[in-house]
Amino acid sequence: MVALAKIGLNGWWRGAEAGWHEYLVRATLKAIVHIPDGFLSTPVWAVMDLTAAPAVGYAVRAAQRGFDDAKVPLLGVMGAFVFAAQMINFPVGIGTSGHLVGGALLAFTLGPAAAAVVMSAILAIQALVFQDGGILALGTNIFNMAIAGVLAGYLPYRLFGGGGGRRAAIFAGGALSVLTSALLALAELRFSGVRMPTAVLGVSLALFLVSALIEGAITLGVIRALEAIQPDFVRQPAAGGRHAVIAAGVAAVLLASGGVVIASTAPDGIERLAKQTGIESRAHSLITAPLKDYQAGFLGAGWLAQACAGLIGLGLVGGVCWIAVRKR
Amino acid sequence: MHHVTLDQWSRRQSPLHRLDPRSKIVALLVLLVVVGTANRQVAWLCGGLWVLLGATALIAHLPLRAMLIRACVVLPFTGVFAAVSWLAGDPGRGAALVMKSYVSAFAVLILVSTTALPALLRGFERLGAPRFLLMVAQFLYRYLFVISEEAQHMRKAAQARGASAGGLAGGLAGNAERFSAAAGALAVLFARSYHRAEQIHRAMLSRSFPGYFRPLMELHYHPADLLFVMLGVLLPVLLRVWIERLS
Repeated sequence: MVALAKIGLNGWWRGAEAGWHEYLVRATLKAIVHIPDGFLSTPVWAVMDLTAAPAVGYAVRAAQRGFDDAKVPLLGVMGAFVFAAQMINFPVGIGTSGHLVGGALLAFTLGPAAAAVVMSAILAIQALVFQDGGILALGTNIFNMAIAGVLAGYLPYRLFGGGGGRRAAIFAGGALSVLTSALLALAELRFSGVRMPTAVLGVSLALFLVSALIEGAITLGVIRALEAIQPDFVRQPAAGGRHAVIAAGVAAVLLASGGVVIASTAPDGIERLAKQTGIESRAHSLITAPLKDYQAGFLGAGWLAQACAGLIGLGLVGGVCWIAVRKR
Repeated sequence: MHHVTLDQWSRRQSPLHRLDPRSKIVALLVLLVVVGTANRQVAWLCGGLWVLLGATALIAHLPLRAMLIRACVVLPFTGVFAAVSWLAGDPGRGAALVMKSYVSAFAVLILVSTTALPALLRGFERLGAPRFLLMVAQFLYRYLFVISEEAQHMRKAAQARGASAGGLAGGLAGNAERFSAAAGALAVLFARSYHRAEQIHRAMLSRSFPGYFRPLMELHYHPADLLFVMLGVLLPVLLRVWIERLS
């Protein structure tokens, strides 16, 4: 039972053995990487859900290309491996320890599309079974970790993994994947109006950098050990990638770094930005106009109209994805 | 053989357990949207929804206290952010974060503890989620405990070979050696998982796997489901409208 609790809580509570500061660090990182429901403002989670749905649909199709059904058990078991890998601690000096996140490692071994599918499945199981990350925030978490994180991790490997800088590329891939996910999450939280004093922000950025370096080191160590066991576990970078992958990876990195910069210039979140530019009033009238007559006498709640519009939008995108992904 | 508490809860019998997973998913999404978009009178709204959810849990014959404690899983994460919000001079927002995330987690917990995971994933599939992804998720859940136990065995074996409690290969070895020992252990776990997947696939082929999971039970939509969806949609929405009217 203890083992199960450890899987469920992903080991962050083991910080209790090491002291309160480690607990605090782990709790902060965990909340940033697996954003719970109730943290993000409506525009943020709605937009991220709408972005993640087609992206996952595309990843599923790409992973299924040349489909052999051996892939279903393989991807599932490798997802279980990433879960279990979090139980193995890596010492990083000064009494603390880190563990594998896994996005980059999966991208180097299974390819970026399959890695995105596995990471999405992990996030879905974590949100559903272990209440680790929200359901409305699932799209956000999937975009941060399974889409942008995996692409950013694969980028250096795809570009420089073939030549002499192979080890550096693997290390950079692991580091970049964690850094991109964390920065994106930070930007989304800031856009949602979660306030952070500058000191806290600085500490979080330092923490991200440290955990990114740890992930890079772990990824490199595991890849080298894997190549010693059986070299064909690790994919050659030229085999499974096209220019679109490079472009998407660059876009993910740019988005993450740009998002943080923009978010820090708009300290009170997207609401204030919207008010300043006058988008809010225009958007509000645009959304509520068709329902205006009902609202005056009936419910008197603009949020209902917004929520309905959001749900209809979600339904539409879901339908499009369903049609796109359906086996033809 | 391990059993998760959730698996035991989701195999109980109650009116809520018998409902179609699709109707429970729809009701959950509506409730989450009602909570997620709220920004006025959050305390009253969350209180009202909490009572509503508590009543639902009682109808479903679920242990209320154990569930309330289990939903506290989110609190350490949100607590840190609430404290940060407090420090930044916005205690109201911090309190709202805690309440919203707690009620949301409690609602998700009720869904998963009244629905077995295969039925739940099948409900998502019928609502349009990609089947391949859900199959991967189902395999992941099935082998989660197998692979985790393997990792535990490896850790125990390493300790038996003289690794200290602090790391995988401890003792006199420095951090660098311990780090590479842990990396080697992960690589071995990776290889074993990979080969296990190949064995599973061969076993599946020998039982003529058609490329998708054959559902053992078909989903049926009953009048009770219609009633539940109507209640699940109307009650949270009306509660929120009423609370915002009063203020």
